[in-house]
Amino acid sequence: MHSSRLIWERVAVSIDNSANSTVGLDVTGLTVAYNGVPAVRGIDIAVAGGEAVGLIGPNGAGKSSSLLAIMGATARTGSVRINGRDASGLVPEKVVRLGIALVPEGRHVFADLSVKDNLRLGGVARRTKAGAHEAMDKIMDSFPILREFAARPAGLLSGGQQQQLAIGRALMSDPDVLMLDEPSLGLSPTAVDTVFEALAAVRAAGKAVLVVEQRAEFTIAFCNRTYVLHDGVITLSLKPEDAENVQILTEAYFG
Amino acid sequence: MSQFIQSLVDALSAGAVLGLAALAIGLVFGVIRLANFATGEIITGAGYALVLTWDLGWYIAIPLSILVAVILSLLMELAVFSRMRKAGPATLLIASFGVSFLLQRVYELIFGNNVRSAPVASNLSQSVDVAGIRVQLLSVTAIVLSAILLVLLQLFLTRTTLGLQLKAAAADFTTARLVGIPASRVIGLSFVLSGVLAAAVAFVLTTQSGAVGPTFGVRITVLALVGAVIGGIDKISGALAGGFVVGFASSMLETWLPQGAGNFRDAFVYVLVIVVLLLKPSGLLVRGRGAVRT
Amino acid sequence: MSTPSVIKRSLGYRLAPGWSLVSLLLLVFAAVAVNSLFGKSNQIAMQYALVDLIIVVALQMFIGTSGVLSFGHVAFVAVGAWTVGLLTIDPTLKHSLLPNLFPFLYDIGSPWLLAVFIGGIVGGVLALVVSPALMRLNGLQAGIATFALLGLVNQVLTYWSSIGPESGQSMVGIPDVLNVWLTMLFAMGAIIVAWLFQRTRPARLLRAAREDGTAAAASGINVVTQRIITFTASGVIAGVAGGLFALTNRVVQASQLNIDLTFVTLAMLVLGGMLSLSGAVVGTLVFALVDLILVKFQAGVSIASHMMQIPQGTRPIVLGLILVLMLIFRSKGITGGREFVWPFRKNQLPGVPVSND
Repeated sequence: MHSSRLIWERVAVSIDNSANSTVGLDVTGLTVAYNGVPAVRGIDIAVAGGEAVGLIGPNGAGKSSSLLAIMGATARTGSVRINGRDASGLVPEKVVRLGIALVPEGRHVFADLSVKDNLRLGGVARRTKAGAHEAMDKIMDSFPILREFAARPAGLLSGGQQQQLAIGRALMSDPDVLMLDEPSLGLSPTAVDTVFEALAAVRAAGKAVLVVEQRAEFTIAFCNRTYVLHDGVITLSLKPEDAENVQILTEAYFG
Repeated sequence: MSQFIQSLVDALSAGAVLGLAALAIGLVFGVIRLANFATGEIITGAGYALVLTWDLGWYIAIPLSILVAVILSLLMELAVFSRMRKAGPATLLIASFGVSFLLQRVYELIFGNNVRSAPVASNLSQSVDVAGIRVQLLSVTAIVLSAILLVLLQLFLTRTTLGLQLKAAAADFTTARLVGIPASRVIGLSFVLSGVLAAAVAFVLTTQSGAVGPTFGVRITVLALVGAVIGGIDKISGALAGGFVVGFASSMLETWLPQGAGNFRDAFVYVLVIVVLLLKPSGLLVRGRGAVRT
Repeated sequence: MSTPSVIKRSLGYRLAPGWSLVSLLLLVFAAVAVNSLFGKSNQIAMQYALVDLIIVVALQMFIGTSGVLSFGHVAFVAVGAWTVGLLTIDPTLKHSLLPNLFPFLYDIGSPWLLAVFIGGIVGGVLALVVSPALMRLNGLQAGIATFALLGLVNQVLTYWSSIGPESGQSMVGIPDVLNVWLTMLFAMGAIIVAWLFQRTRPARLLRAAREDGTAAAASGINVVTQRIITFTASGVIAGVAGGLFALTNRVVQASQLNIDLTFVTLAMLVLGGMLSLSGAVVGTLVFALVDLILVKFQAGVSIASHMMQIPQGTRPIVLGLILVLMLIFRSKGITGGREFVWPFRKNQLPGVPVSND
């Protein structure tokens, strides 16, 4: 509870910034099926610049599938707009260039490559090549551990450090929309704090953040609003005030 | 003793060449899970280019053979493999088998069944004295050529952004795409590099035999393929190592097998392959039993 | 013994029903009958096609049931052919043709029919011996391992002059006892055996394991054992095909029973559809038909007073093209197999993980 109160205080500060309405993610009617078995059944999510939206729910609810589908990595129907532009039929590497980045579940850093090379690769999809060096500098400022281990193979970093690298790599493409799939998975509480501090900064900078998480209270407290995904459908929409409400939480997970 | 050193040099050379061929296969496999049996026909094509244009001068024949190899490689990808992205590795292998068969027949149609000859790099086909030991100049050349190519490749993969993209894609194709690395670019790149390596292999083989026929590249591709798989075709270094081991072993067997058993060296290699696959299905270079990433 | 429900689920519509067997046999009969109207050379071509059919049926028996690739079945064909050669060549001829045989091999001999079945058994024994090792492998590894087996057997048969001719030479003098109708009976027999095998317990268990490996393992199915049984059975059939090949070709040489034959039979199976017995039969017959037409056009055909001829060497190119195009556009083959996707891979972009969320 301690850490979510900390975040809560920061949230109160950043929500004051007016949301930028042209920047953001707009998903309507997203449907994903694997071999005929539906995983996501027509959900709507909108995240404007300067907002953070959470997506929580039990395992198998379709959270990861949604993020992958938005990135174009799995077949989907429905409309996905990034910064107002249609992402239909685009392959992931083209979707990224619309201004969106995904930090995948399990981090997936390129273990044999150095930390610096991982970041460099993130910059391949930048919409403006200029500023890549400055971006890397800024990211290393936000995550000092990356500067310290710049030449080390990414596989040697701890889970929390890899998560920071994965986020840094995603930020290198200068996205307007940042999506994260379970960033707190396997991380120590301090590491989680660092990550969410960084996310708060990203939101404060006017970007749109969509974060999928297992840890409900935390996410609900941090995000402007949090959706509960259950069996492929959005069943609830929660506000930060609901973070302390055990009843609502139980309903979210077992209702 | 000197015979042993001679055989060692020959074996290193054979290992080097087979390692290059296996690397050509491994580079493409790493990215799209295609074990390209038709690499042999790329080698054959480059071989034909060499023997048919050798009299125009090596400075024309060699670049031309590289060009032919790269074009063939890209053509295969464009015409066949790019349309089979959803297929699994076993299916892709069958398809590459089909392409290989097809190309062999095309070569037959165009060039006829008989071999085409030319004294390609004939001044390399001689023995020289190195520190009192007679070695084949071609063997030494093959080792040096492979070493140079490997160094260049390594530099490319680690120092250039493009190379990094390829390395990342070979390690984790999905994540590479999610990060924004263009799939088509790295796939095309892997085929181009594969073609260059195949041309190098063709050069050594053509110099060795002086003659190219429709099935020129088949034998080495079979060995390179099994070598790549037992080395651990998952990783680029695995394919290279496996190819080297098979080439080295095959050459040593050829020299040291007793009379009469010499014909069976390929048979021994096949037994070795089966044994390795039995003990370590994911490859020699992979730690433990490993998850077979096919 | 009660059948676990996961196995029950794989029954029924997936198997070729009884009428399907009859229609397959009729199809084969019709093909042979119609073909026999067109002259002697056609009959011989049909005989080869029927031998190929038996090989393809053997292939399908294994690949179609287990979902595992095998590039090695021609090894069993080869040993079957070798066996028949050794058993049916006239002893005096043997001594002059194959000078270095083990002594006992000179004395053995049998009537051709028995020789064919012994060839089948030898094929099966070879399959049985190698299968505990090979059957643990999947996917690409299985393909490579079976490919190595093919290479191994081929090398041994080529060079081991104690069991055959000198390096690279042929066995000749195999008696002329087969005709296309007898071969047809064998082909029909193979189809019936394969059809019956589909209904045996090992086959059902393997199909269940292919559908859902985790559930199958949880039900206590030992996949490797079932694969061994299936592989051996298909090895027997392939061995019989080899024996018939020897009797058809009258000459046996190791180089004829290697990669090219592997490719052709695999192509026929892919063309027809790997997942069904009908696919094996249809694929071979269609392939043979196309081949026949191409042969005619290569020799020159007069159509409406014009002479149409395609260049020599086009034939294998067309056949190769067919395989490649089938794999690209309709990998399930002519018969389309079943409703589920190609067994070797789920239907996705390469490398995209099957998400569990």
